[in-house]
Amino acid sequence: MLEIRNLAFRYHAHGPAVLDGASLTLRDGEIGILLGKNGSGKTTLFKTVLGIEKPASGSILFDGEDLVKMSRRERARRVAYVPQDIRFGALSVYDTVLMGRIAHFGFAAGKEDEAVTERVLEDMGLTAFAERNVEELSGGERQKIAVARALAQEPKLLIFDEPTANLDIANEQLILSEIRLVAKEKHIAVLTSLHDLNEALALGEHFFLMKEGKIGYDGGADMITEEMIRDIFDAEVRIVEIEKQRIVIKE
Amino acid sequence: MNRGRKATLIILILGLAVLAAAFVCLFVGSSHMTLSECVNALFGKGSAAQVRIIRNIRIPRVLAALIAGAGLAVSGLIMQTCLNNPMASPATLGVSNAAVFGANLSIIAFAGGFLSTGHNVNNYMTGVNPYATSLCAFLFAGASILLILGLCRIRSFDPGAVVLAGIAIGSVWTAATTILQFYATDVGLSAAVIWSFGDLGRATYKTDLIMSVTVAAGIVFFSLMRWRYNALLSGDSAAKSMGVQVARLRFFSMFAASLITAVCVSFLGIIGFVGIICPHVVKRLMGQDHRVSLPASALAGSLLLVLSDTLSRSLGNGSALPVGAITSMLGAPFFLALIFSRKGGRR
Repeated sequence: MLEIRNLAFRYHAHGPAVLDGASLTLRDGEIGILLGKNGSGKTTLFKTVLGIEKPASGSILFDGEDLVKMSRRERARRVAYVPQDIRFGALSVYDTVLMGRIAHFGFAAGKEDEAVTERVLEDMGLTAFAERNVEELSGGERQKIAVARALAQEPKLLIFDEPTANLDIANEQLILSEIRLVAKEKHIAVLTSLHDLNEALALGEHFFLMKEGKIGYDGGADMITEEMIRDIFDAEVRIVEIEKQRIVIKE
Repeated sequence: MNRGRKATLIILILGLAVLAAAFVCLFVGSSHMTLSECVNALFGKGSAAQVRIIRNIRIPRVLAALIAGAGLAVSGLIMQTCLNNPMASPATLGVSNAAVFGANLSIIAFAGGFLSTGHNVNNYMTGVNPYATSLCAFLFAGASILLILGLCRIRSFDPGAVVLAGIAIGSVWTAATTILQFYATDVGLSAAVIWSFGDLGRATYKTDLIMSVTVAAGIVFFSLMRWRYNALLSGDSAAKSMGVQVARLRFFSMFAASLITAVCVSFLGIIGFVGIICPHVVKRLMGQDHRVSLPASALAGSLLLVLSDTLSRSLGNGSALPVGAITSMLGAPFFLALIFSRKGGRR
């Protein structure tokens, strides 16, 4: 279980607070969606959980262990990341996924690392791609490989930063279903940001709405109302229900 | 063919090509010895002069080409990866400019050997202590490395900042060299310019030993970090999330790459292009996996420098042409052909 308490962060000592007492709790196997305007602190929150930035105060606990105090390697065995801007270099799919094992093997991959890589490739239906150069693959396939690489880390928490940005509708659906599978079948906690509220409503079960470095609202899909969206995004919307699915319509 | 097997085969072929080129290079030179005379001299037979030429001049020279070629190419590859910049080279931290200033200071201000006052090129080049110029070049190159890495450690290891700091510091060394050369005598100026051309003929067994220890230590370190360099190709945030200490890796890698360059340049002068072209050719042909590109770049660097040295001694009509110019003339057309070929353009 991920427990973030009163997290504060500034990029400069006298600069504005990017995170200002953010708190959230996410259980294993749960899909948490972080929503908020650009600049509300979503990416910074991810960076502090990943250890890329160090918080000024507050705590980030995972299963009771302090992620902030862990070494980068220890943290990478618990938390994995699928960034928005996916780059790999000209490597084979197999080597790219095997790379996710760095935190486990150190200098050279062993038999166990290869076994994990093969299992992940098989689970995600990527075995046929193993020898292909990742740079020759489509955006959706590359996104899938980034997920496979993150899974090779055998994390307990998986963070996605705008996983469907720059994808067409077919690949969007592919990635959202992968996220669901990861959370439900592997019982991994998933924390993701999404810019599309309808995608968020279709995927998520626990929503965290950020405003000015704080979690303003925390709850299930029912919590999301027109007033709340106006407060968080300064946008006028209508929410209608079609075939038991809540749809956000921009005014 | 399986990618791994293909890479192994290419590395094997490159290795054999390096051995063959090194062997041929031993038999080329201004003394016009026949093949059998060279082979005899190699085993200590033949005239004393022939044995000296092979054992004291050509072997150290070929070894220098093998070691410096490998070192510069590997350093270039690591700088390109660490700085995420295809234009990065072993000299990106201003190492070569600093070494040139150090050598110029030794040659022009201290007449090559600190106290020698003779006004001929030989005196300027060797002076009282033949290592004085190299030592001075190395001291300034080392100072440049420490200055830039120190500044970046205080502020940021952002690749853009490192490259710009390298350009700024490098231009300061170049400006200082220009001022120094402005006040030089004609002979001192000639000697300083000749030093900067790059010449494998300056190599001795001692300098080869120092270079080989530095290059070997660097290659061992780079090889241990090969998976981390692969992770860096995914960007800093992704690499950090995989457990890589990015700032620390960048600091030690750039330090090792620049140290290799400083040692090679201090002993041999400027040998350009090997550190840029060889890693690019390897990456375009074999991909960016550092498990493959590291050994392949090292071998490609050795091959290019050995071939360039052989050509420089064959074309110079008795005196060797600057090897740095030959590496560019030999490498650039091949590189251009690769960039504009279908195979190269795909990557």
